[in-house]
Amino acid sequence: MKINKSLAEEILKIRESTLPSRKHSRKVTHWKENHRLRSGKGEALVFILPTKGCSWALAKSGGCSICGYIYDNPQESDFDMMVSSIKNTLRRTIEEGKFSIKLFTSGSFLDENELPIEIQTSIIQEIAKYEQIEEVVLESRPEYVTNKILQNLTKNIEMSKIEIAIGLESANNRILKNSINKGFFWEDFEKSAKRVLNSGAKVKPYLLFKPPFVSEYDSIKDILQSVSKVVSIDIDTVSINAMSIHRGTFLSEVYEQKLYRSPWLWSLLTICKEIKQKYPEIRIICDIVAGGKERGAHNCGKCDEEIIRKIKKFTLTQNVDELEEEEECKCKEEWKSILISEKINISDYLHVPYLE
Amino acid sequence: MRSFQPFSQQGFARILAETRTHHPLSPGLISIEQLKSIDGYSAFFNFPFPPSYSNMETNEYPLEWNIPEKKKEKALATSFILSNQPFYPSYISNKISSEDFTEYTKTFSSLPEQHKQIFTLPLSWIDSPIVEDVIKTDVSLIALTGLPSLFNNQRKLTEALALVRTKLPPDIAIYLPGHISPKLYTFLVYAGIDFFDNSIAYFTSKRGYFLTSKGTFSLQNHPSCYCKDCMSSPPNIFGHNETVLKNTLAEIRFALNSGTFRSLVEQDIHNSITFAAALRQFDRNYTSAIRLRTPVLSSAPIKCVGEESLFRPEIAEFRERVQKRFIPDSNCRIVILLPCSARKPYSFSRSHMLFRKAVKEGIGKLRGIISELIITSPLAVVPRELENIFPAKSYDIPVAGEWNTEEIEFTTSLLLEILSKYDSEMVIINHTHGEGYSEIIENIRNKIPSRIISTSIKSSPTSKESLSKLTSTLKEIVSDYKDIQIQGIPAVLKQLRAVADYQYGNGVGKTLFNGTIKIKGKYPRDRQIFRNKDHIGNIRSKDGFLTILPQSAQEIVDLSYNNLEFGDERVVGSNIYAPGCLNADKRIHPNDDVFVVFNNQVIATGTAVVSGEDMNKMTSGILARVKKKYKVKI
Repeated sequence: MKINKSLAEEILKIRESTLPSRKHSRKVTHWKENHRLRSGKGEALVFILPTKGCSWALAKSGGCSICGYIYDNPQESDFDMMVSSIKNTLRRTIEEGKFSIKLFTSGSFLDENELPIEIQTSIIQEIAKYEQIEEVVLESRPEYVTNKILQNLTKNIEMSKIEIAIGLESANNRILKNSINKGFFWEDFEKSAKRVLNSGAKVKPYLLFKPPFVSEYDSIKDILQSVSKVVSIDIDTVSINAMSIHRGTFLSEVYEQKLYRSPWLWSLLTICKEIKQKYPEIRIICDIVAGGKERGAHNCGKCDEEIIRKIKKFTLTQNVDELEEEEECKCKEEWKSILISEKINISDYLHVPYLE
Repeated sequence: MRSFQPFSQQGFARILAETRTHHPLSPGLISIEQLKSIDGYSAFFNFPFPPSYSNMETNEYPLEWNIPEKKKEKALATSFILSNQPFYPSYISNKISSEDFTEYTKTFSSLPEQHKQIFTLPLSWIDSPIVEDVIKTDVSLIALTGLPSLFNNQRKLTEALALVRTKLPPDIAIYLPGHISPKLYTFLVYAGIDFFDNSIAYFTSKRGYFLTSKGTFSLQNHPSCYCKDCMSSPPNIFGHNETVLKNTLAEIRFALNSGTFRSLVEQDIHNSITFAAALRQFDRNYTSAIRLRTPVLSSAPIKCVGEESLFRPEIAEFRERVQKRFIPDSNCRIVILLPCSARKPYSFSRSHMLFRKAVKEGIGKLRGIISELIITSPLAVVPRELENIFPAKSYDIPVAGEWNTEEIEFTTSLLLEILSKYDSEMVIINHTHGEGYSEIIENIRNKIPSRIISTSIKSSPTSKESLSKLTSTLKEIVSDYKDIQIQGIPAVLKQLRAVADYQYGNGVGKTLFNGTIKIKGKYPRDRQIFRNKDHIGNIRSKDGFLTILPQSAQEIVDLSYNNLEFGDERVVGSNIYAPGCLNADKRIHPNDDVFVVFNNQVIATGTAVVSGEDMNKMTSGILARVKKKYKVKI
């Protein structure tokens, strides 16, 4: 069983109440940002494609306990508009330099039900026209990374440019099943990843820092263990995503009951340092969503900005020296004690009964 | 059925919990990390921090006990291991946690023995049959989670705490992790929590809060403190907060050892509305969880300041024992109701000396036919025979002359019960004065057939007018009995019998004290009781109770409520340990004098350390300390 039935039921209840309020159509959104490519610094062009959304989130199992991206997807989508919009944007934006294109659907790009194979092909063909584009990042769940789809990609683009990002979240099956309701296990990921690597493309696993029900202390350990496991199957990039609490999710309800605190930036700093020291050749990407905010990774509020800046710089330069702190903020002590007390006692630490 | 186990096989905390009133480490504070100075803590967690690849394989988080190096060699276990915690979504819904909890316990029971010492128990699962299996293993410490969320709901809180103490065996220590304010420590220890941790000190210090034993204040506005940490510059807030936690627990340990813990609880609950309400609930609805564990034999003073004191377990127990165990002398014809006095025992007070003089004048030689009952709150009714024992000897109450309805209610009902034990022909003389008293008398007047004469209606009982009226009334009544021949029993004997009944059970006094009884020795030394020239026991000066020697205890073994059945024909050493106990009477309270019985033969006497019910539940540790062993005469 890859699903914890009772957890899935809880999630589905929340999903069913929130899903019908989705919009009917949306435009393609895009933006440009600085990015670390394999060959060095460059720029990234990010597209958010308004497909109908992740098949897993729409399934009867309720989807992931932590993911609220589905609420941004429209109920129906206009594929012709999508292709022409991408075409126009590429023509306008791609200039000199190195570019990375990220195609995000908030679901699986490679899922034929979500994005028909002809549309996939025409988008890829458009991108293949530009030589400046060195990397193309696609997101997908592992089950859609089939040989058929990969062959279709091979026909249209140089495979070494393709990077398939898979939301692995954790290499620990118990976390996948009991905390996230991911619907697949490490073994499924491993199979798909090997298939991708054999085809010549790259794999970028997303690792989730601090899923629900796992203490932050254990979650640091889990990330470190997951990275080791990922590295062991010859993957050269990991993306570490600190939890941000999306509205309308199971996690959000847990958070509103004051039973969850979003992760500390100190932990992220520790993780990045530790991984880089152990595996210097690995590219670590650590984008902090809602950093410094209550629902995203944050510290005391005073040192947040500085640490976020450091981690951003580290992601760009991959230089571990960027993470050295000149002066420790006072909250580092609090972080330490909270991590330990949370480890001892995962459910109670957020209740503050003495402040009556 | 219990089997004999070598004591050394048991864990360390088990010893702590059993003798929690005697062990220096319990109740105590646990540090969540190793600090420079570990003084004042009971233990600390030895976590590798931060987690890194070098300590990846460590799945053990030892809890190291703060015991001196010398003793560590002798100790059975100096550290416990907190096994790797799995996911614990106990709070989301019962459905989810059911699966996870089962999984956790499964993992737990598959752990090697030394990892099975600390178990994390979510409160919502305490009723689960799985927990019962876990208890049977060698668990010594239970980390209880989910309790703080009930801190603002006194009904659920008391329910939960009572459940924790009744469900979990007394020899497992309970650790309440998380941010617990020191002002709540007293009540929580009273309810059965053994350990807290210092995480609140970290949290509050960094957030700018200042802890005191009375509550939490902001750093900008708080009561001044002149401790070392506060006087240093800049002030060391963590040091101060930590010290407050340590001091609060040290105070609790001191109070436990000196027998004044309940008074401390009554003082401290006034810091929190919920907890004040919770204590009242506890006293009224969950008496068995607490009352049986409260010593009845004590010499500590009781200050009945608040309303809570009316239902203090010792006092409630006294009322119940008087009701059930006090048997008045059958020769009694006159009952005199007297008010209480500030000085204890009552006979030493000026007012009671005056009463005695007046009574003596009135009654003449027929002292044997009167019985004196002292009406008081919160003890309700104290027969003169029991005035020398705890708690009648050592309570104090702020007297305002007003009785509340509750006091009047339970005093009336107890007085009625006691009066019904007397011959219905007797006469009641009411020598009390005041609104509360007269209300009680009015309440009973219609419910008993006896005649009630009030001798102190107009003025205070010690006034000349009232005293002479008492004398004249007595003279009048006595004249009716002039012709009847009554063999009076000496007051001392009455007292001995009443105390023996109170202490050991109904009928003990009559069996033990017949024949020629002589008492030798002088206060402050314990007085010795001789029966037909045999030494049978002592009257302890400290608390007024009796010590019975093993050979005389044999006579009352069938009647006694204080028997502990032992598994061997001889007691070795000076303690009785849990594995040696086959069955203990459930009516035993800690500190009680117990008879160690083998095959209906008293082989030793001792002092109970824990209650009878706990004796049966415990699998290790000290149950009682041996006082005297029975020597076989050859």
